[in-house]
Amino acid sequence: MIRDITLGQYYPEYSIIHKLDPRLKIIITLVYIASLFIIEDFYGYLIVVAAVGGVIAASRVPLRFIVRGLKPILLIIVFTFALNVFMTRGDVLWEYGWLHITRQGIYTAFFMALRLILLIFGSSLLTLTTKPMKLTDGIESLLGPAKKLGLPTHELAMMMTIALRFIPTLLEETDKIMKAQQARGADFETGSVFRRAKALVPILIPLFVGAFRIAQELAMAMEARCYRGGEGRTKLNALSFKRRDAAAAAVCALYVAAMVAERVFI
Amino acid sequence: MTIRVERLSHTYNAGLAYETRAIEDVSFKVKGGEFIGVIGHTGSGKSTLIQHLNGILKPDSGHIWIDGIDITEKGVKMHEIRKRVGLSFQYPEYQLFEETVYKDIAFGPRNLGLSDDEADERVREAMGLVNLDFDEIAERSPFDLSGGQKRRAAIAGVIAMRPGVLILDEPTAGLDPKSHEDILSMIRSVRENTGSIVILVSHNMEDIASMSDRVFVMDTGRLVRSGKPEEVFSDAGYLRSVGLGLPPATEMAEMLGLSGPDTPGTILSMDELVEAIASGREAGP
Repeated sequence: MIRDITLGQYYPEYSIIHKLDPRLKIIITLVYIASLFIIEDFYGYLIVVAAVGGVIAASRVPLRFIVRGLKPILLIIVFTFALNVFMTRGDVLWEYGWLHITRQGIYTAFFMALRLILLIFGSSLLTLTTKPMKLTDGIESLLGPAKKLGLPTHELAMMMTIALRFIPTLLEETDKIMKAQQARGADFETGSVFRRAKALVPILIPLFVGAFRIAQELAMAMEARCYRGGEGRTKLNALSFKRRDAAAAAVCALYVAAMVAERVFI
Repeated sequence: MTIRVERLSHTYNAGLAYETRAIEDVSFKVKGGEFIGVIGHTGSGKSTLIQHLNGILKPDSGHIWIDGIDITEKGVKMHEIRKRVGLSFQYPEYQLFEETVYKDIAFGPRNLGLSDDEADERVREAMGLVNLDFDEIAERSPFDLSGGQKRRAAIAGVIAMRPGVLILDEPTAGLDPKSHEDILSMIRSVRENTGSIVILVSHNMEDIASMSDRVFVMDTGRLVRSGKPEEVFSDAGYLRSVGLGLPPATEMAEMLGLSGPDTPGTILSMDELVEAIASGREAGP
């Protein structure tokens, strides 16, 4: 069950999307996220869904793998949906006490939920198609200008690399500890919320102890290989902007143009 | 207490690009009090197999009967399985979490719903079996113990549930020779005192050869050999072909021509080897 979390996980494939320059992918993702917030009507969503669908198809990541990424935020989606259905004012369709459903409510709820789902799809696509190392390389490179202002960009990027690198490790560790405690009769699945929260203690403590142990070992291994921060450090695989990146940028520009045109003219 | 496993199969990540068949069509029986050694190279499915035996993993197909109860069936009470089958994972010390060793060992018995008195009795008994001094260790933090002591405290946490089947996944991995020996003698004393079935997974061929009544050999998810240690370790060529080796004494005997497919009686321990050399046993043809 814990393996189902896809957020921040890489899906190995050799698609064009996987090969794109990570800097470009980050920018496109940001543009995409911004674009989600200018949509106002049905046609806007149509364009976005078509665009995301196209990218998913091109990435060759199985759809159910991407959909699985929604699981952790399912509650938020349902909550948003419910809130919008019941709290929006407008033409009342159904009423019971203080609860009421309006036409506008259904409309807003549906689109808000869709917006959240699209948001997760977009950002999952970025992490599913980009190796964590490349992702942080991209972030470091994009933050380059901020370095002159004294921002320790390399260190920030390294921290992110390490954090991302250890997500699967810690998930695996959690899985192992859960199994070990289950073997000793621990029960995480039944009982009240309070009981279940208490049942997490036997997982969390070993997990923290393990995380500190891993961190210490990693720090030692890095020092043993003379790591001393970003000063004067070069890259083995320097990022380069290729023709396919230019093409992808053009497609993205087209998308933005379509979104703006839709907003202005329809 | 008996175990019967029939045509067990399990696939990880079924349907995904990286699906792997962890175990395939595994069947065997274990009678009461038997000591089973399980060997197989890394990734041969040993850990997956033993996780099925106490219901942590559910098979894709196949059945497991523990004492006549089919634990693969839906609606089986997990407590009932875990009371009977104790499983100690690799590096079990990483599961320690309580403030004191006492509380940590009592975690399992309490989960079984035992009273304070019963749990107390179980903790004392388990600590005795793993040879940890109650007065000295019980009230200390498990994180302050030495590596070998932590390992024994963690295994005590499983033993305290008084399982009829005790499964140990590489209990000696990463320990120094002294702690290694401590763990082995602990396993022997647990077995003598409780009469449990013991299933030991290990990469140490010498331990497997000296302790097991029967040895299971796993390769790419299948149970490929099962037999007495003398039988299994007499076929060196086969074991090497599945990425395994021989106990050091057997290896030495083989080099000296004292043991092998053509000589009767496989030498498994140093004592046997010494005796064979001293008695001037004839080398095989």
